Amino acid sequence: MFFKGCPLRCAWCHNPEGQSAEIETMVRKGGEKVVCGRDISATELADELATNADIMNESGGGVTFSGGEPLAQAQFLLEVIPLLKARGIKLAIETSGYASAPDYQAVVSQLDFAYQDVKLLDAEAFKRWTGGDLSVVQENISWLRKSGVPYSFRVPLIPGVNDDATSRGAFAAFAAGSKIEYLPYNTAAGSKYPMLGRVYSLEGI
Amino acid sequence: MTERIKSLLDRTFDKEQAKFRRDVDWKPLLGRFVAEGIGDEARARIGLEEMLKSERPEFMDGERIAFLRTVKQIPDLHTDAEMDARRAAGTAFGEKGVVFNLTADFAPTIRDGLGARLAEIDARLARCRADGDAEGVEFLENARLSLEAVLGLVERYRAETEKRGLVDVAATLAHVPLNGARTFHEALQSLRILHYAMWCEGEYHCGLGRIDQYLFPYYDADIKAGRLTDETALEELEEFFIACNRDSDLYIGVQQGDNGQSVMLGGVTRDGKPAFNDLSRLCLKACGELKLVDPKINLRVDKSTPLEIYELGTELTAKGLGFPQYANDDVVIPALERWGYETEDARDYSVAACWEFLVPGCGMDINNIDAVSFVGALDAALRSLTRRLGDAEMSFEDVKAEFKAEVQRRADALVEKYRHVEILPGPFVSVISTDCIKKARDISKGAKYNNFGIHGTGIAVAVDSLASVRELVFEKKLVTLPGLVSLLDSDFAGRDDVRAAAKAAPKMGNADARADDLAKWLIDFWGHAFDGKRNDRGGIFRPGTGSAMYYIWHTRDVPASADGRLKGEPLSANYAPSLDVPVKGPVSVVRSFTEPDLGQVCNGGPLTIEIHDSAFAMPDGVEKVAHLVKFFIERGGHQMQINTINRDTLLDAQAHPERHRHLIVRVWGWSGYFIELDKPYQDQIIKRVEL
Repeated sequence: MFFKGCPLRCAWCHNPEGQSAEIETMVRKGGEKVVCGRDISATELADELATNADIMNESGGGVTFSGGEPLAQAQFLLEVIPLLKARGIKLAIETSGYASAPDYQAVVSQLDFAYQDVKLLDAEAFKRWTGGDLSVVQENISWLRKSGVPYSFRVPLIPGVNDDATSRGAFAAFAAGSKIEYLPYNTAAGSKYPMLGRVYSLEGI
Repeated sequence: MTERIKSLLDRTFDKEQAKFRRDVDWKPLLGRFVAEGIGDEARARIGLEEMLKSERPEFMDGERIAFLRTVKQIPDLHTDAEMDARRAAGTAFGEKGVVFNLTADFAPTIRDGLGARLAEIDARLARCRADGDAEGVEFLENARLSLEAVLGLVERYRAETEKRGLVDVAATLAHVPLNGARTFHEALQSLRILHYAMWCEGEYHCGLGRIDQYLFPYYDADIKAGRLTDETALEELEEFFIACNRDSDLYIGVQQGDNGQSVMLGGVTRDGKPAFNDLSRLCLKACGELKLVDPKINLRVDKSTPLEIYELGTELTAKGLGFPQYANDDVVIPALERWGYETEDARDYSVAACWEFLVPGCGMDINNIDAVSFVGALDAALRSLTRRLGDAEMSFEDVKAEFKAEVQRRADALVEKYRHVEILPGPFVSVISTDCIKKARDISKGAKYNNFGIHGTGIAVAVDSLASVRELVFEKKLVTLPGLVSLLDSDFAGRDDVRAAAKAAPKMGNADARADDLAKWLIDFWGHAFDGKRNDRGGIFRPGTGSAMYYIWHTRDVPASADGRLKGEPLSANYAPSLDVPVKGPVSVVRSFTEPDLGQVCNGGPLTIEIHDSAFAMPDGVEKVAHLVKFFIERGGHQMQINTINRDTLLDAQAHPERHRHLIVRVWGWSGYFIELDKPYQDQIIKRVEL
């Protein structure tokens, strides 16, 4: 479930249509227009997702909140989560961790799994590359480690930014025994930018 | 795989065996047939004799399972004029008119040897002579001579192997196929020869059937006796599979790869017990290593099949092989029983060349004898309705009724057309089919089952078009029905708004009840369009959801369709969402396509979906796709095939075929090499929705 809107602006974002909370139009190469995003209530969304409860439950799958940054719509999540849990649907989240501590804890404590991004470990680099304050994320990660919610760290490896050996060592130490996944750089990361009339800043890295 | 197998694999793929081949001009033989007025049974036997006499024993270095084709052409047994004359006299034929698209009963002959068949023929022949059964005598005499011709080539191969010092092969050929096989190796060699001989007699789309069942006793005995290990057994099987690719470019079909060498794994035994065994596993493993288009793997599953087996199958899918094609025992077996197949036979089902369900050995079904074009029928119905009613009041129910009547009219016409079908004889294949010697009759005269199968093409396009008519004409009143019909003739000229509305109307594949209800309705009546009808062999007509190559052929006869498809744009293959439809995802596709009661249309015709190869980039990709197949089966799907493709790769393959020689795609019911397909087939695959 991809939520529109994100407080960060990571230079390597491969879902640029997730950054703005507004409904946008993407224009494909052939000129075809695609509307990106829609407004929906929590009950409508839960009903829609529940139509696939059978295969989700049978295959051990579920709903993963992603985006954009799903926690940017934390209040909405708090409405929709109980509706899904009532149908026995398993829930997970993919998050940058860039949210207020109360929002983060209220949502994540109810989930079955959290994929927590770890993009950069240095505050200055974090600010430069994502525009955000690293301490916000660090506080949430500290809570996550003690929360009892199953989780895995996820590191998007960006050439020239965080994929050198020193960084790897630092990430491994940071994980300190917790599960950590390294995601290879998406060489097509820039492909959706022209569809939004934007330019990908990391072209050709 | 071993070094030897790797070497054989590479050299076979590179067609090293082509160096042994030569052309033979069979026209003189055909001339002789006509001039001397030789009967059909004798022509088949003489054709086989001449073909095998012309064959020259040749071997690829390192092979242990012998027999390869050196003569490129199979003799024609009848002139076009002779066939046309028969047609003009009211006889219908299925395709070329010969025995085809079936699976022989290899097991008893592998077990007993051709020598045992000869003894049976002689005994039966004596009784026929005593009874004055001339037809029986003619069949059995020709059958005997056919076996002698096959054994003659075997002996020439054996002698040549002795000459060349190929000691192992010589020893094998000294024993099989004259005698019963004693080992897995001998069984495979025997099967190779029997199958080879069928092609030489002129049969095509010759399936191999349930090899994991009938070869299991030999494999199992060898393993238990220590004659084979897991590794050596795999090696044997891999060599046999490679052999299936040795002559396959000489086999006839609509496209390269369309040769019908189908294998059916798993399912249940004749007495209803789970049949998936270690040999089934080994077959999947061999295919996964070799990555060839033949043999074509089909896998029978049901509700109780563990996920692990779906995952084994999906590992082949992930490699881009376009198989396994899955068949659902829970739906197919009861469907066959309802159609009059005996329970034990129904449990023994396999598939014909592509996917039509049949019983090996005792079936002389022609499962693909013709097709009804739903898109063509709807187009005709819309026109006849507007002609009749003009501007008068009409409802969507009128449209449905007209369409249903038109489909029924076409079904009835096919029943008439194929009431009397003649099949040209095949004495050799009859010997290795069930009960032909006992009955002293060629299989072409009739077997236990003599049913005909009718495809139903373009289901999704027809359903989408009906949904579009309902919405555009009767709900939104954007256009009248006569108005729409003339737009179909002009590719929606001047009315982009109508075409856009048509494309936005409900589509099959999105779990949208407004389309799915129409699909259910269509399949409900299509499934019973042939109830009570029989051909003059006592067989029934079986409707299906397949299209075979008609998805290209049928588009030539229709203009644009109401779903927004333009003239000339191909239909989707078999049972699949229309091309270019923005589907929500594979789960919705599975939901939509399992809404109808598919037990009514078990002539076959798989849900055909395309999955982008990136789905397998992550390690859990196989598990997820396996779950998708399992979900399809649990929801009552009858048959499913998955193509793993990447549109960019396909486009590159069109531009640079030399870089993509190994690229395999699933076409309509078989896997082929993409670069060997004609462009319309390539283009249609590229247009398919990638999930």
